[in-house]
Amino acid sequence: MSSKRMATIMGVTYGIAAIMPFFVGDIRFIMHILIMCLIWAVVASCWDLIMGFAGIFSFGQVAFFVIGAYTSAILSVQWNVPSVVAILLAGVFTAGMGVIVGLPCLKLAGPYVALVTFGVHMTLMPVLRGEIGIALGSGGSQGILTIPPVNILGYTFSSANQIPTFYFTLFLSVVCTVIILAVIKSYWGTAFLALKDSEEFAMSLGVSAFKYKLMVFALTSFLTGVMGAFYGHYIGMLSTRMLELDLFCTLMVMLVVGGIGRFPGAILGAFITVTANELLAPLGAYRAVTLGALVVLLVLLLPNGVMGLWLKRSDAEA
Amino acid sequence: MNLSEDTILLLLELTDVIISGLTNGSVYALMAVGLTLVYGVTKAFNFAYGSFFNLGGYCAWLMILATGFVGGYFSIFIAVIPLMFAVGYGLEKAMVAPLRKRADWENKVMMLTLGLSLFMDNLYVAVFGGRVKSLPTILDGALTIGEVILNYQDIMIFFMSISGILFFGWILNNTRTGMAVQAVAQNPEGAKIVGIPEKHIFASTFAISTVMVGFSGILLSQKYFISPMSGGGIMIKSWVITAFGGMGSIRGGLYAAFIIGMLEAFVGWQFGMSYTMIALFVLLLTTLVVRPQGLMGKG
Repeated sequence: MSSKRMATIMGVTYGIAAIMPFFVGDIRFIMHILIMCLIWAVVASCWDLIMGFAGIFSFGQVAFFVIGAYTSAILSVQWNVPSVVAILLAGVFTAGMGVIVGLPCLKLAGPYVALVTFGVHMTLMPVLRGEIGIALGSGGSQGILTIPPVNILGYTFSSANQIPTFYFTLFLSVVCTVIILAVIKSYWGTAFLALKDSEEFAMSLGVSAFKYKLMVFALTSFLTGVMGAFYGHYIGMLSTRMLELDLFCTLMVMLVVGGIGRFPGAILGAFITVTANELLAPLGAYRAVTLGALVVLLVLLLPNGVMGLWLKRSDAEA
Repeated sequence: MNLSEDTILLLLELTDVIISGLTNGSVYALMAVGLTLVYGVTKAFNFAYGSFFNLGGYCAWLMILATGFVGGYFSIFIAVIPLMFAVGYGLEKAMVAPLRKRADWENKVMMLTLGLSLFMDNLYVAVFGGRVKSLPTILDGALTIGEVILNYQDIMIFFMSISGILFFGWILNNTRTGMAVQAVAQNPEGAKIVGIPEKHIFASTFAISTVMVGFSGILLSQKYFISPMSGGGIMIKSWVITAFGGMGSIRGGLYAAFIIGMLEAFVGWQFGMSYTMIALFVLLLTTLVVRPQGLMGKG
């Protein structure tokens, strides 16, 4: 897809989101859902960049999100670091973790990468709940309950003044997704395309698979970490419940709905999925069951997501 | 030899840990062999593997509830094993087989099975409740040798998993289906040329692995309990064993399962159960960095 078309779809999506407060600005619940949509749009796009474009089957996206959230929360609660600095530091730390995880596993074949990254996800819960986490200030199984909101030059973006917070989130979200768009359309993106088509041929032309994969891993971990940190400050509390499979699959639904490797699709997927997830809430215990069934059905029936419905057949197969 | 009181206690504790490592290890071996097989033959990475483990446990629990434990575990195995086979076969045909035609089907299978595991785990919670369920012990009583107490239950678990693996090995080497499975694993193209029904073999392999993990589920659940959300941990454990032992190597999987069973028992004893997951992960990373092909894997 041309970058013009991608930018148009992104512009329209974010544009519609941007005018929403004029209609529903006073309904707190809907504004909250919109903010969540914007946050998850970035995380889903990051995952799409890793999985759909770079072809790395990483299952660590939620783990990086949680690492970012906890780092920033611990920094601002335990060490009184100003929230903006804490968010940036959390991003850098998460990027570092991404590199540490990426170094051993990016040389491995597909399923092993999935296994190692999913292992990170599964290990994070006992670490955060156990003595190591408590020593660092994760609050154990109770979590962190009093995270200060984001504060820029004395102005606080909290759930108390939702509309400014919404526009701040929108700004963050747009910046992050534009970075992702730029990466996809840059030399990196072309390199990934070449590696995906024929890894051996691309490497014989001097494209270093490992270098680019590691760089994209670091970048997406950074963005995911920043969004995670922001999420923590916005919600005001964190617990290890985020690491349950539920959230992981929600994120996966976003990607499948949007279409893997169909970039702005992930953003659309995030908007659709977060909204649908809220609509499913009355199902109670069966919500997660429905979500799981949805993943199965969507993977089987909607190979290219909603973007696939729009694209021409020849485009979709490319 | 004069041992002090403390030393004897320590030795007894150690024996307990070793017994627990051996029994768990034997069941892990069964799980890992099933996983090695299904990945080796069909190349489908099954993220719902752990949920099938619990499916076995819940089937047994339901059977006991419905029939009042007539015929003991024998009748349960007779009923649950074909059921698990049918479930595995049907799922492969309905979900994995249609994906095979697509370009990036391996990734799609991972996503699909992860969704399936979310579906199954939460269905267990919704249907059976979040609380754990326990099954009656397979064999009561204990064998006492001096100070050491050996539960018949542990002996039975060990015996049954080992015979399960041996029986599976027999199937693989002596039946037409088993030989066809090996042929597909060695060379899918060649197998197709000589007329082996590939699709049927894929589905059967998937079904056999489902049976093996379901059987392990019953064996371990009657020692511990059935907990609806434990599937993810079981899946990771099976994968770590498979990766550690070497993908596609059944003997490697066997050794790895016992090593990991022991490791888990010792880490749990020394540092507490919450550290076993971390220990497993460290082991996995070390294996992949030092010897990516695993203990007995080729190249």
